[in-house]
Amino acid sequence: MAVVSSPTPTIAGIALRMPYWVFTGAVALIFLAPLLWTAVASVSPHAGTNQVDGWGFGNYQTLARYQAGIWRYLANSAFVSLLTVALTLLISLFGGYAFARFRFPGKNVLFLLTLAILMVPYATLLIPLYVLLNRVGLANSLVGVAVVLTMFQLPFSTFLMRISFEAVPRELDEAATVDGCSSFGALWRVLLPAVKPGLITVGLFSFLAAWNDFFAPLILINDTEKMTLPLAVSNLRGQVQGVVDYGATEAGVVILSLPCIVLFLVLQRHYVRGFMSGALKG
Amino acid sequence: MRRAFGRRTDRRWLAGVLVTALALGVAACGGDDSGGGTDVAQAGPNGVDDGSELTLWTRAPLEKQAKLLVDAYNAGHQNKVKLTVVPNDDYVAKVGAAAGSGGLPDLFAADIVYVPNWVNQGLFQDLSANINGLSFKDSINKGHLAAGTVDGKAHVLPFVLDLSMLFWNKKLFKEAGLDPEKAPTTLAEYAADAKAVQAMKKSGVYGTAAGLNCGGCLVFTWFPAIWASGGEVLSADGKESKLGDETAQKVYSTWQDLWKSGAVLPSSEGETGPTWTAAFTEGKVGLMLYPATLLSSTPFDVGVAGIPGPSGGASTFVGGDGIGVSKDSKKAAQAWNFLSWMMSEQAQVEVLAKDKDVVSRADLANNKYAAADPRLVTINEVAGKGDTPVALNFQQAFNAPNSPWLTLVRNQVLKAGGDLQKDNGEITAVLKQ
Amino acid sequence: MSTNAWPRNRQALLGWLYATPTAVFVVALFVVPLLLVIKMSVSRWPLLSGDQGINAPDNFEKAIDHRFFIDSVVFTVKYTVLATVLLLVLGLGLALLVQESSRWNNLLRASFLIPSALGLASASLLFYVFYSPYASPLAPLMKSWGFTFLGSPTAALVSTTFLIVWRYAGFYMVLMLVGLQGIPADVFEAARSDGATRWQTFRKVTLPLLRPTLALTTVLCVTGSLLAFEQFYILTKGGPDNSTITVVQLIYMVAFQGQNDLGVAAAISVIVLVALVVVNALQLRAFRSERS
Repeated sequence: MAVVSSPTPTIAGIALRMPYWVFTGAVALIFLAPLLWTAVASVSPHAGTNQVDGWGFGNYQTLARYQAGIWRYLANSAFVSLLTVALTLLISLFGGYAFARFRFPGKNVLFLLTLAILMVPYATLLIPLYVLLNRVGLANSLVGVAVVLTMFQLPFSTFLMRISFEAVPRELDEAATVDGCSSFGALWRVLLPAVKPGLITVGLFSFLAAWNDFFAPLILINDTEKMTLPLAVSNLRGQVQGVVDYGATEAGVVILSLPCIVLFLVLQRHYVRGFMSGALKG
Repeated sequence: MRRAFGRRTDRRWLAGVLVTALALGVAACGGDDSGGGTDVAQAGPNGVDDGSELTLWTRAPLEKQAKLLVDAYNAGHQNKVKLTVVPNDDYVAKVGAAAGSGGLPDLFAADIVYVPNWVNQGLFQDLSANINGLSFKDSINKGHLAAGTVDGKAHVLPFVLDLSMLFWNKKLFKEAGLDPEKAPTTLAEYAADAKAVQAMKKSGVYGTAAGLNCGGCLVFTWFPAIWASGGEVLSADGKESKLGDETAQKVYSTWQDLWKSGAVLPSSEGETGPTWTAAFTEGKVGLMLYPATLLSSTPFDVGVAGIPGPSGGASTFVGGDGIGVSKDSKKAAQAWNFLSWMMSEQAQVEVLAKDKDVVSRADLANNKYAAADPRLVTINEVAGKGDTPVALNFQQAFNAPNSPWLTLVRNQVLKAGGDLQKDNGEITAVLKQ
Repeated sequence: MSTNAWPRNRQALLGWLYATPTAVFVVALFVVPLLLVIKMSVSRWPLLSGDQGINAPDNFEKAIDHRFFIDSVVFTVKYTVLATVLLLVLGLGLALLVQESSRWNNLLRASFLIPSALGLASASLLFYVFYSPYASPLAPLMKSWGFTFLGSPTAALVSTTFLIVWRYAGFYMVLMLVGLQGIPADVFEAARSDGATRWQTFRKVTLPLLRPTLALTTVLCVTGSLLAFEQFYILTKGGPDNSTITVVQLIYMVAFQGQNDLGVAAAISVIVLVALVVVNALQLRAFRSERS
């Protein structure tokens, strides 16, 4: 890392850096402001919502009481997201290993096809996917949604795992195989720890994408109890004839974002390192 | 990192992948097995109540009435109906995805203006034999029945009728010096009353409001103004638009004048539908063309009348949803049990009328709940004078967010210009497709 | 070298073994639907009644003749240029700002990144409320200045672009950071000892060495913007007066909002896909050809 650590602060030093702090602080505030405002607004009084006078959690109550109830939707979203993460990690771990370490016919075709997923609009693929899932009995199921979401994660995660693997010097697994390890053993025991940052990054991103996805559940799920959280929040918007419940929408956004932000902050160290591992190969 | 994709083996592999995928794809989309199960025509007058689970889809705006009906049915029958509520804007997408793969629910409701198109594409089963077995079949709302009739065979029944009426805020009328018990009888009087409310210059209060960026809201509220004065909106076969005719022109110019005078709620300009009635419900609008289904959820004293035209009269748009048995249902006889109950006096009066909604049967229009509220009597009366337009390409021509109808209205009212006949021609072009 | 020392057959077999899950997913869930889309584009395929047989090239003609085809292409390109320039410049700027490691910079970096934790749908819903004349904190301002965020074509474009820049600047900042960290420190030392100003260093040293990163970010940004849909679907629905319809929104409209014609929608999708492949190929070639 081309790192330059800041010099120890002196009075003059602080005075000189003040405008820098003010400027960058202002920029940071612009980034944080919309979120802070939404959180505050979700508990403030609004006409036409459940929270008409004074501060309180009325809007959250609207969410809680909406149809199957917010706990149900949280659980559904969690299930879909965790399943997507598990599938994505598994597939991209093996896939990245294959692309980085082996030569096999059709390798380039497969890799390019995987990346090509990024270039086709979501809406276009959804109807044929619906037909396909119906045929294999996965229509109207959260598992089906997770499977579809995994597919959409493959380009990014396979790419990232591949460069993570490629960043690890071959001497490491060479040593393992010389000692009689199978390819799987080399993967499990030697490479896995080395690509952990990449795995964490892939896990985080696929979780965020799956947690927040709106279209796949919209088209693929019919039962109200199987809806995921973004779908429920979006439904709330056009629900009661004539009045959009802005308060409930704000509360919904807060609940949707909170787990993501927490995860993001907690895993920040690993996340950045996961990207960096690609740069190490210089 | 990626070098050129030209090696022979790569190309061979691509071909191999494509062939495999093609084979899978053909297998996946080959063979369409829809239908089967009990034939609804053999269901008998009351259908079958054997404890089956039935699925029913409806649009979000009708959630309240749908829930009331479903709950009442489930309480008194062995069959149980499972209700799914879908956001309005995404309903067609969902139905389309399901229709294409045999996944439609047993029962589903459709905006009545979409029904001709959907019946035409075979989404609903033929109910004519069952409907003919009903003793009151001649008093079922004719507009709705006609919308779902192809080749003389009826496919849908009215689910929830939504009528457009003229609502006014009695308190604001009184404050503006208008008679709170008197409705405007012509469109010009409507405009005058709106301007009177506006003249009060009360903060946050406006004379009138509309959904000026919502094609569906506009047909719902402005078509009756044309009908009330004896005008037409479509040709009989639904393939030609008459919205450039004289009566229509008068409607546009009235609204153009209203807009210019500042008596219209400003946010009406961008209103795409979700909040088009909000301001009136909050007591901030003097008078408005408004859905009758919101009568019970409007928390203050309102007057109700039919929608007047430029030269008087009164009419309404008999909208709402129709409901039928889907082509994919394997429980048609049980589904008919729900439908026949829904048309029965018990459901119509004790569930719908009690909730201050309009009944779908003319012979029940004078039920005890309606009689208790003179406004409901008015609504039921005007329902008989209303109409439901029928056109195969209605959605594309009028309701879609980018419809030529919307362009026409916005040109006429907001931009005070535009070539009316050209815009009207665009509508006809779409209807003719 | 390790696995490369193994006999080719064994390598190929093992390689395929590990690549099989990827292959299964990609083929079954991507290639097959894609082929179905291609089939749809040459068939008459109404949404509600399904496949009615081949009708090429009708769908493509109808697609190009569509009322909003040209407009949506123009708008999408306009939006793409605007968003890409803003995001890349801002991403690089923020990265340069926070590349030194300090506690303050860590805080800044986290703040810039937090919007990236939101899904695009959540962020769009957030701004839907933020921009609405009803519930926005800026509503009194909007009233007194007589404008709305989403009320005019330009305002809608700018407001939506603001949303996207807010949501993605942090992500592109990280990509740029990674690129910057990949430049060895002694290169900067050498430039400084040669007496170069900061601007000269930036232009002659940093930028060229950032080429791979710039290539990646440009491709990602252009592709993502050309396929923009969700933000416009939630915020503007193509309005006001059909001025913010993007190409993917057109596909959605044709498929589900009136025309209900999957064949034409598929035709537009195919056109978009071909355009994207061409655009990306050109971009990558442009970036590569300048490599010295």
